[in-house]
Amino acid sequence: MDPIAGTVPGLDALHFCEEIQRLMTVPPPQQENASSFTALLDLPPTQAMELLHLSQEPEANLAAVRPAAVSGEPSCVLPFNSSLMFPSDAELIERAAKFSIFGGGGEQSPVAANPGVDLERVKSEPAETDSNPNSSLETKTNNLRPSAKRKEREKKGKVSVKKTKIEVKEDADKVPYVHVRARRGQATDSHSLAERARREKINARMKLLQELVPGCNKISGTALVLDEIINHVQSLQRQVEFLSMRLATVDPRIDSNLDHLLAPESLSLMQSNFSNMAPPLMWPEFPISGNRQQYQQQWHFDALHQPGWGREEDNHTFNTPEALLISCNSSANSASLHTGHVKTEL
Amino acid sequence: MSMNSRSLLLSPNPNSLKYRFTNGLLSALSRINRKQSQQPRSAREIRKRHRLIKAAAYGSMASSVGNRRAWSRALLWKIRNQTRRGYAARRNITSSSRQLSMKKRICDLQKGDQSKNRVEVGGMGQVDKLRRLVPGGQIMDTCSLLEETAHYMKCLVTQVKVMTSIVEIYSLP
Repeated sequence: MDPIAGTVPGLDALHFCEEIQRLMTVPPPQQENASSFTALLDLPPTQAMELLHLSQEPEANLAAVRPAAVSGEPSCVLPFNSSLMFPSDAELIERAAKFSIFGGGGEQSPVAANPGVDLERVKSEPAETDSNPNSSLETKTNNLRPSAKRKEREKKGKVSVKKTKIEVKEDADKVPYVHVRARRGQATDSHSLAERARREKINARMKLLQELVPGCNKISGTALVLDEIINHVQSLQRQVEFLSMRLATVDPRIDSNLDHLLAPESLSLMQSNFSNMAPPLMWPEFPISGNRQQYQQQWHFDALHQPGWGREEDNHTFNTPEALLISCNSSANSASLHTGHVKTEL
Repeated sequence: MSMNSRSLLLSPNPNSLKYRFTNGLLSALSRINRKQSQQPRSAREIRKRHRLIKAAAYGSMASSVGNRRAWSRALLWKIRNQTRRGYAARRNITSSSRQLSMKKRICDLQKGDQSKNRVEVGGMGQVDKLRRLVPGGQIMDTCSLLEETAHYMKCLVTQVKVMTSIVEIYSLP
């Protein structure tokens, strides 16, 4: 826990100034972020200096954003117990990382931009890095860098620190560009990250589909669920085909049929309370999987049975098929509501 | 007229998919019936009517969804191509440049899938089956295919409900 500040000669600071000014003329496009960056870095300027010196590299990328602080302080004596008041800005760190001169060498940009969300852990980090000052640059920066992204995982204490080191060893032979906190035992490769994100997206969509297809909730496993979905879509398309065939064969005198449905009946039906009606499921047997051969027979049976079924209901509004239409309406409204719900989800 | 049927079928929400679909379907049906002067008794005429009604059902469904969904866009494009070039267009495979570009897109998509080893949703060719079922599914990646399937399924359910109720009305004595 000894501050290394005293060992920094003044020449280094001057060298810093030139570098910094050079870097300053390369403006990152995120101007608004840069201003906040300066703001947060200006707060404990000496501490940032301290961390920069720790890395022992003249390329102080982050210092590019802090003109004032660096120029005036060649020697900073800082106790490491001081609170590091860096507001969390993990995204900024990523961007700064990309714009700095990283390559495969020194990942050190977020060194000074640790989000101080969990101050204790941040304090423990420098303690650990301090304990082995001769360790490789990568280890140090990798230790400090992922802590910048650890906003959500505050529960993991020192275990996460050890995990970082393990991850560092895994990534040592690759070219690590973006270090993200991964779950335990999972790779942090950018390819695998993208793959994982894609897989999660697909799984979310599959869950939605499972909810839509009746009887699919109990099935586990992607292949079977997909089978169910395909069956359901096929059965629905077949239903449309049968219905259109039925419409084609039926007597095409639309107007004469419908004129019989007079106003008083329809008015009384429409004034009834739709929400009280439990809409009878007209095709209850269809969503059952595996009974594909029985679909057609069931459909014919239901088609014959419906008018009588409608009349058997004790509710007076179910006497005529218009009531079925209206009940269709109410049930389909819930379907359209569900549509809206799914749309927002998707 | 057919306004009575509409008032019966469409009492609640006038902005729902069902409302728009029913409107479209009923007008298409009345149009078909007006064109066909006599009652279709021969099998060929019934089949022709069947085709027309099916196209009208899918067409009005796609129109009521509009351009918001990829499957509805694909359906509308297919129907417009059919009406433009007649029913022979359905059997033509590589007639237009647009179809060629679509084929190229399909090939690229399949190649892309193979090269990146996307094996998560491999199953036993189920995703391919799904692609064939959903209109426009050939040119989508797996993720959006699932999304389109969900919406397509919902619209199919609405379609079936409305059509059953129309059949009910027709079968009244």
